[in-house]
Amino acid sequence: MASLPTPHSSPVPGRPAAEPRPSLRAELREMGAELYEYRELLFSMARRDFLLRYKQTVMGIGWSILMPVTYMLVFSLVFTRVVKLETGLPYPIYVYAGLLPWNFFSSSLRFSVNALVANSGLITKVYFPREVLPFSVLLVSLVDFGIGAIVLAGMMVFYRVGIHPTIVLVPLILLIQLAFTGAIALLVSMGNLFYRDVKYLIEIVITLWMFATSVVYPVERVGGQLGRLLMLNPMTPIIEAYRSVLLRGTWPEAGPLATAAAISFGLLLVSWVWFHRAESQFAERI
Amino acid sequence: MAGAVVRLDGVWKKFRRGERHDSLRDLIPALVRAGFRRRPASDLEREEFWALQDISFDVPPGEALGIIGPNGAGKTTLLRILTRLVRPTLGRCEVRGRVGALIDVSGGFHPDLTGRENVHLRGAIVGMTRAEIERDFDSIVEFAGLADFIDTPVKRYSSGMSARLGFSIAAHLRPEVLIIDEVLSVGDAAFQRRAFGRIEAMVKGGIPAVVVSHQLERIASLCTRAMLIAAGRVVHHGSPADCIAAYVQQPSFPPAPEAVLSAVRLDRITLRSAPPIRSGERLVLRVTGEVPESSEIERRVVGVRVRDLQNGSVLFATGTRSNGVPLAPGRFVLDAELQMNVAPGLYAVETYVWHRESDRDVLNGPSTTVHVEDGAGFWGTVQFNARMRLADAAADGTASA
Repeated sequence: MASLPTPHSSPVPGRPAAEPRPSLRAELREMGAELYEYRELLFSMARRDFLLRYKQTVMGIGWSILMPVTYMLVFSLVFTRVVKLETGLPYPIYVYAGLLPWNFFSSSLRFSVNALVANSGLITKVYFPREVLPFSVLLVSLVDFGIGAIVLAGMMVFYRVGIHPTIVLVPLILLIQLAFTGAIALLVSMGNLFYRDVKYLIEIVITLWMFATSVVYPVERVGGQLGRLLMLNPMTPIIEAYRSVLLRGTWPEAGPLATAAAISFGLLLVSWVWFHRAESQFAERI
Repeated sequence: MAGAVVRLDGVWKKFRRGERHDSLRDLIPALVRAGFRRRPASDLEREEFWALQDISFDVPPGEALGIIGPNGAGKTTLLRILTRLVRPTLGRCEVRGRVGALIDVSGGFHPDLTGRENVHLRGAIVGMTRAEIERDFDSIVEFAGLADFIDTPVKRYSSGMSARLGFSIAAHLRPEVLIIDEVLSVGDAAFQRRAFGRIEAMVKGGIPAVVVSHQLERIASLCTRAMLIAAGRVVHHGSPADCIAAYVQQPSFPPAPEAVLSAVRLDRITLRSAPPIRSGERLVLRVTGEVPESSEIERRVVGVRVRDLQNGSVLFATGTRSNGVPLAPGRFVLDAELQMNVAPGLYAVETYVWHRESDRDVLNGPSTTVHVEDGAGFWGTVQFNARMRLADAAADGTASA
């Protein structure tokens, strides 16, 4: 008969250590393979979130149009009647073409900040790659983005903008935006799991960020040191690129867009690896 | 399934009492401190404790390991390590093969979604492909007995209904490794029987399993081996019967002083009657052991007792003294006969040595389990040797006129 153990004894030296971390290459391969294995979960989650977002609402999917349209009306009123803003385009379509991708970005962040915490029941019970949760939020916001795009198409007809051959670049710009949004979504969802301050912080950050991006006015006009600093924000070249290829029919400025792409994909890689390494603590720390 | 592996190697897990720094205000000092000194993982800081200490086991295909122990022993932590929810602080955990985790099966459903939507979602969460879910959907619903309610939101389900649905999904995963935590008690008696039958079939089919349950009877009948843990440590690792005996006998800790303990040795207990043992039939056992020369054998009693494994209570105990059996120094072979006047079920027959002066069991010896099957037939839990006959109706004064 063994005697009852005490909970305070220490491990004997020479015990097997915790598993060593695999090489970065092996880690990336594992991350990719896992996400591929659970791809159906990603779509099931996105489907669930989409069903839930508008369940028991009368407006339903209409809400995803109402938000950018309202902002478009308000900003159009301010920047055409109160202050005249010269953008080289009819202001309503200029601002809507900014608000639509911006809304995709900001709503992704707003929902992903809670993506892990709201699913704590799953995280503490079942193993699956946790990045599925913030990524599924991205997919849902992408659907809203697609629906909002119908309004943009309508406005393009109304303002007789026409279709330019440059439109072929839209998938590339969207891909860069997805990478950047995904990176930030991973960071904020993980941040909020460990520190609930993040969900309050993110509201302030989103508001400030919007005015630091060429959403309602061209940020280049800020000028000076601050202006140069603001140009580092990948969202500005991304939104400007949408305007160029859709509304102006010109190719986007290669330099800023390439920089934005480099920042976006680099950040996605770093934040994904970070997320993956922190994942094993999620169930304990949530 | 030959490739399935379930192995823990020297696993330690450290936890912290109370909250960690949960806001950024506490993070900064913590980071500063962490930056200044790296402490080895094996150190315990204030507020930290070992939830698991040096746990190792290996469950090859065809084996089922039962884990028993009091609340707070670390059973849940152990399962969380096996299901990759938490990572061991020290040591290694290796689980290869598709894991079917039957843990809290009723939780995690989304209340606003219907049963059907939840089946698809949960199926995807536990790693089933869309095609697999489609293929097994009807079978899942039928097993759960929810055909009429599958398009009702889960928030309108009773807890038994969601538990049944959860179990049914998990059981259809076609796992290569089974991890089971207390789910043998979901639903009503009929569902429990079906659920248990399903798990039993998977285990008998060679799927390695780790089972946590407080229903000792389930452990005894399902598992090939068992492990008793207490306060995060392995107390006993061996046959389910021995572990269950060690677990239910624990109240007799702390053990008596060494001198008292070493007096009599109990070596083994064997069943002499061939199974099946039916209710009301006699069971013959043989206990072997040794009484050392120096011991004061007259102060000790070698006994056997019968324990109900459903609730762990002792039903009956008897010893050499009350049966008038004299024990002398030297090896002994003791035959005992018990009439199993009990309901069908699983029982443990344990051996022990009792010390008269201190009035306590000074030694718990080997034990064995006995499966009592349906016999000549009585209803209830105890056999009262009832006798009935017809009396003269006319002579009965209480009869109404």
